[in-house]
Amino acid sequence: MTLAIFLFISIILAGIQTAIPFLVKRTIIFGITVPEKHIKNEQLLSYKKNYTFIVALVSVIALASYVLWVLVSNPVEEKTVLIGTFIQFGIILFSLSLYFYYHGKTLQLKKKQNWMEQLKQVKVADLSVRSQDEMLSWYVFLLPIVMTVGVIVYTIFQYDLLPNQIPTHWGANGKADRFTEKTPISAISLPLTLLAMQVMFLGINIGKSKSGIQLSATSLNASRNRQLTLRKNSSWLMFGVSFLLTIMFSFFQLTTIHPDLFAGTAMMAAPIIFLVILLTGTIIFAVKVGRADKQSVGEQKEDITDYDEDSYWKGGLFYFNRNDPSIFVEKRFGVGWTLNFGNPIGYIIVFVPLVVIIILSNL
Amino acid sequence: MIIVIEPDSDVPIYEQICNQIMEGIARGQIKPGHSLPSVRVFASDLGVNMHTVNKSYHLLEKKGIITIVPKSGAVISSPQDFNESSFNRLKDEFKPLIAESLVVGMTHQQIQNLVTSIIEDFTKNQK
Repeated sequence: MTLAIFLFISIILAGIQTAIPFLVKRTIIFGITVPEKHIKNEQLLSYKKNYTFIVALVSVIALASYVLWVLVSNPVEEKTVLIGTFIQFGIILFSLSLYFYYHGKTLQLKKKQNWMEQLKQVKVADLSVRSQDEMLSWYVFLLPIVMTVGVIVYTIFQYDLLPNQIPTHWGANGKADRFTEKTPISAISLPLTLLAMQVMFLGINIGKSKSGIQLSATSLNASRNRQLTLRKNSSWLMFGVSFLLTIMFSFFQLTTIHPDLFAGTAMMAAPIIFLVILLTGTIIFAVKVGRADKQSVGEQKEDITDYDEDSYWKGGLFYFNRNDPSIFVEKRFGVGWTLNFGNPIGYIIVFVPLVVIIILSNL
Repeated sequence: MIIVIEPDSDVPIYEQICNQIMEGIARGQIKPGHSLPSVRVFASDLGVNMHTVNKSYHLLEKKGIITIVPKSGAVISSPQDFNESSFNRLKDEFKPLIAESLVVGMTHQQIQNLVTSIIEDFTKNQK
């Protein structure tokens, strides 16, 4: 079972890592701004293909050896988990170093061939794009918060029913395997953690909707389509995650109060169902957004290009721009969002709830 | 409507924004009564400082092109508001341009043709 779960997650992880060069924004290659007319450059295409091929090859070898090792030597569960986690981190680290290698190569090529020369660098904005924005409203994210507050209030009323040992950790089989003394705080620490996450999701959704819809001057329609798809789908995905987490956490909390409420099989199935839905949702999200700007643009303008923002992107990964009021911006390498580290509001939205969660889990 | 700015141009960004919005109104892409995006939204869509957009809005307000209404934002004014003071201001702004045109050797007719062709370009897609 453990092997199957790890394999499932690892394959999806490796699959997404492999496909990234083909899922990113069309004019950003390995984190470097490339003018529209050079994105089909043969050298660049070969960088992308090489990256994909090497990451795929290394992942297949690593995962195959992992499966072989587990099946042949039949290690204890902890060891399977440890090595499995190690391999997942390994794949991420490996693809990241390969990314940096090609990031440097692309930058060199861009400098050597003087792509930006003689092109007018422009920034564009569409004044009417906001009317097409289909992000979920912030108040939709209040629904799971209300549910969680309900669970907390219920727990307080049923405090006497709670066992003297409060479970704090559940294994992959849905059974509690770590406990703590019953106190008013430990009794509600699980839904409180959930609440902190939901507040973070709410904050992220508000932050994203206030962030810029940044378009590409050379492919207006394609980039608009991608930004709108990203905004709509990421807000739905985040709402889905928030909702599923609420159901799962409430389910665990209710089982702690009423041990016989649900069958053991339901307890076992819950985390797996959660995982399957989450990963499927992530894949659909990545593919939908990744394809959103890949149709031909047909609106080539020869003498302009997007403003070169490479200097704001440290290593092509971290965005730091004090002038841009956006809290979140679209990632350069990967599908999704990243923080504008030049805007302190982003730190508050993301790090305050994380600190609260860490404190709660160590009480 | 699409706003295009050149951050590296000699013309300051706030002036470029202001000019583009005026052109958009002249072309009929934005109509009187419509509102412009909030300063924050506009600045983040363009990826420029909020002060820059704020400056353009205030410039447009000074020219009487938009009115800034608390809560509902910047609304495009109706052209009836045209008055003596805008006439005098425009006259002052036209003067150096026309002087320059004469100095470089343009004839009266050429200047008039230029003005007519620009007006025609602005109004050609309007009904």
